[in-house]
Amino acid sequence: MGPVVVLDPAHGGTDTGARGAGGAVEKDVVLAFARTARGELERQGLRVVMTRTDDSNPSYDDRAAMANAYRNAIFITLHASSTGTFSTARVYYYRFPNPLTPSPAASSTISALTTWEDAQRSYVDPSHRLADAMQVQLAQHFAGSPALSTPVAVRELRSVAEPAIAIEISSVSVSDPNSLAQLAAPLAVSIARGVAVFQPPVISPAKAPVPASGAK
Amino acid sequence: MPRNLRIAFGILGVAVLVGLISLRGLHRRIEHLGDIQSSDEQLRRDLLAPQISTSTDVKVKAAIFWAAGPDRTAPVEIEMALSADPVQRAKQVLLELIKDPPTPEQRTLPANTALASLYILPDGTAIADFSDALSSEMPSGILSEGMAVDSIARTLESNVNTLRRLKILIHGQEVETLAGHLDLTGFFDLNPPALPPVAGAPPAAQTTTATGSSANPRR
Repeated sequence: MGPVVVLDPAHGGTDTGARGAGGAVEKDVVLAFARTARGELERQGLRVVMTRTDDSNPSYDDRAAMANAYRNAIFITLHASSTGTFSTARVYYYRFPNPLTPSPAASSTISALTTWEDAQRSYVDPSHRLADAMQVQLAQHFAGSPALSTPVAVRELRSVAEPAIAIEISSVSVSDPNSLAQLAAPLAVSIARGVAVFQPPVISPAKAPVPASGAK
Repeated sequence: MPRNLRIAFGILGVAVLVGLISLRGLHRRIEHLGDIQSSDEQLRRDLLAPQISTSTDVKVKAAIFWAAGPDRTAPVEIEMALSADPVQRAKQVLLELIKDPPTPEQRTLPANTALASLYILPDGTAIADFSDALSSEMPSGILSEGMAVDSIARTLESNVNTLRRLKILIHGQEVETLAGHLDLTGFFDLNPPALPPVAGAPPAAQTTTATGSSANPRR
């Protein structure tokens, strides 16, 4: 059984996100993208959870909590920018700043007890791998997209204790909002292939459930 | 047509005519107000972002990072007078970044942005406090917000080499995001420590992606 894919259409409710001159609104565009991607992922036999299915606006923490409720999940937040060349796609993973004075004691504390604000810190490497796998797929469907993913401090990713990425499509600034709808299918295919290529991190033996002694 | 109906149509016609004339006047007045507002805005910007000159100013080539395409920033060399004092020097380059992009397309920060204050802590942390416009007038998106912060961070680290990290405040407060995407609750690295060069690696150009994944970050 593959990972649970948590799809997060960004914004919602009074938070419209980017607005295009032609009337396209990010919150609606990404919800439509997420619905199409959900269908494609489910056709592959994957379980999909969406952080919103209507015009609601869950908080960043609520969105992260939905992903953190699953043991083997990947989190994908979907955005549509107001800038950039139309029909290009970029994938981002969270970048934490370097500590000013790195100390071994501090890093061991992080691995033992991770704060909610730093939940993504232990998952930066798998998130990076997922982001690169996804960016490769998107570059095949969206000409002019970068070949590699980019590290950025995207707020929605910070508290997710799973591999987590943000995909941003350019852009809502089109005269005909219907042209954005044509991007939904190639985006869904790219996401499904990216998830299929990505291998979720293997749970280390120390963290894996251990059978009770004497059990047969 | 009955007389009453003719009178009613006549009154209606006169009312529509008066309405059209009034609307035209109203439209003109709104346009005029807009002109006044934009000249006020310019005046306010000039007041908030005065030219900073200090006794230690020396003309040097400063590297200011503006947009170099839809998704990356690159340095532009500008000859300008910079102070020996790191705080004043940092303010000078940020004001240049806000005020004078070579073309409108190269702008990374909203034109109405003002740098309210800037401090440098002993550990090399620069705290830059910007006006609301940086957040409220920023085009929404990870790409645009990333380029904005990237241009600030790269401009600071290229011209003030004692800086180690950057904290961005909006109107004196820590805010959760710049314009709905980029996390401003943490710090941004400046002048990261040098790593040993990778054998056989080609020299990289000094351009950066939207979000600071500099192709040559170990300057």
